[in-house]
Amino acid sequence: MSMTQELLKARTSLENNLRELLGVPVFLIEMDAFALPCGCGGVTINTRGLQLDDLEVFEEHILKYLTDTVTSLDIEPSFLFARLIPGTSEIASINARVLCNSCYMDFGRGSGKQPRPDIYIMRFDRRE
Amino acid sequence: MGFNNYFGPGRTNQNPYLKSPDNKVPMKLYVPHIGHFEGLEELLAGSDNIYAVYMAGSPEYVGTGRTNLSAPKLEEIAQQTEYAHSKGVKMEIVLNSSCMGGQHLTPEGYRAIDWYFDKLNSIGIDSITVADPYLVEMLAKDYDMDVVVSVLSFVDTPQKAEFYEQLGATTIVVDPAVNRHFDKLEAIRDTVSCKLKLLVNEACLYQCPFRYAHFNFFSHANGPGPKPNVLDDYYYYKCLSLRIKDPQQIIKSPWIRPEDLKEYKHITDTFKIGGRTHFVNWILNNVEAYANERYDGNLMDLLDSIKDLKDTFYIPNRELDGAIEQWKKCDKVCHKCGYCKRLAEKVIYTYSGSGEEIRKIPLGSIGDRT
Repeated sequence: MSMTQELLKARTSLENNLRELLGVPVFLIEMDAFALPCGCGGVTINTRGLQLDDLEVFEEHILKYLTDTVTSLDIEPSFLFARLIPGTSEIASINARVLCNSCYMDFGRGSGKQPRPDIYIMRFDRRE
Repeated sequence: MGFNNYFGPGRTNQNPYLKSPDNKVPMKLYVPHIGHFEGLEELLAGSDNIYAVYMAGSPEYVGTGRTNLSAPKLEEIAQQTEYAHSKGVKMEIVLNSSCMGGQHLTPEGYRAIDWYFDKLNSIGIDSITVADPYLVEMLAKDYDMDVVVSVLSFVDTPQKAEFYEQLGATTIVVDPAVNRHFDKLEAIRDTVSCKLKLLVNEACLYQCPFRYAHFNFFSHANGPGPKPNVLDDYYYYKCLSLRIKDPQQIIKSPWIRPEDLKEYKHITDTFKIGGRTHFVNWILNNVEAYANERYDGNLMDLLDSIKDLKDTFYIPNRELDGAIEQWKKCDKVCHKCGYCKRLAEKVIYTYSGSGEEIRKIPLGSIGDRT
């Protein structure tokens, strides 16, 4: 299967799982694979209709679906997080990112779920 | 600087400036805060060199002229202010919208803003930064909080500084556009008796053509609304694009290196670090660099507005030692001088590759791109 076919399949599957879980027509409007100059890589899934409350209540389930999705794309699920629209409870995207050493330091400094007000961490595997 | 310094020492006691019996601590650093309690705890645990923190308030009233990651409610501001004060650190709220579309001059607008100022005053906020002259006068007249004139009031002459002082300003943050115009800085210092603050790492383009339009756009995007549903931030993309095509613009941009703070101490002892949308780790790296007046890494690590280019360009900060001597006497006629262009070719490298396989290529070897 080509990379685009895999992304298409993963997007549809995750969207269906979230809709079934939450009972609302959450939209995953775009799923993008990315590679950054610093060395980070991963996928960003832009969302509409998903809110922080949904995540807090169903975090365990959403985390499992997201882990399955990114694993199916051969992306290590070491860092999974949501981006919030500042000052609101709207989730702009859910993301899987394999961090470079430099960005690991930015995210890894704190211990809480929100190292910045716009980031909500679902999973963060700390390094030795 | 190694990674140990990124983490800095644990905050073990009160602010050293306040502790010092003779107040002979070299500078007061105003440090950006991303806006939530966790962030503040982490920030203050990471350094003893923070004199004050600043963050945006709620966009429902005045808004702010820069991008923002949080919209703390009054109770959150109160909790954070109490915490900052318990650590001997001052709290500043930034409400520096450069355009409110006249809302503040309507009866409803005035009442809402007046109510909000009153609440902030009750909370015990130490200072409020505003850009609109009307709000400067309103704050000075009715409240106990220090009134700080924002960079977005673009105070770049002694005459403008005098106007704002007469309106009631306690402090003026001078427009960084004149950070390398020492004659103007000295004239401003000599003209007013209020305090001056210098923003060290904004790193906007020198004489940026987008400056007013960009801040007005941010003010509407981060203000009470209606919020524009924009396609893209044209000004930001253009700003980055101009620097990629012509990297000397990064050198001309009027940042102040940590090593060069000493050249400004006859102007002020108060310096502001920009960057309230960055990670605490990034902010603390800046705090340590400016507090120590030394940074041995990539200058791009410290610059706020062009952080997205930090993996594009490498500028060994220490290779810029001494450049300030030229800028002190510079008459800013670039086409005749060419100093910054030559310096850019000498010290700027571009990165190629990514991650472990990254390479640095000297800009000079790529040739003249302008």
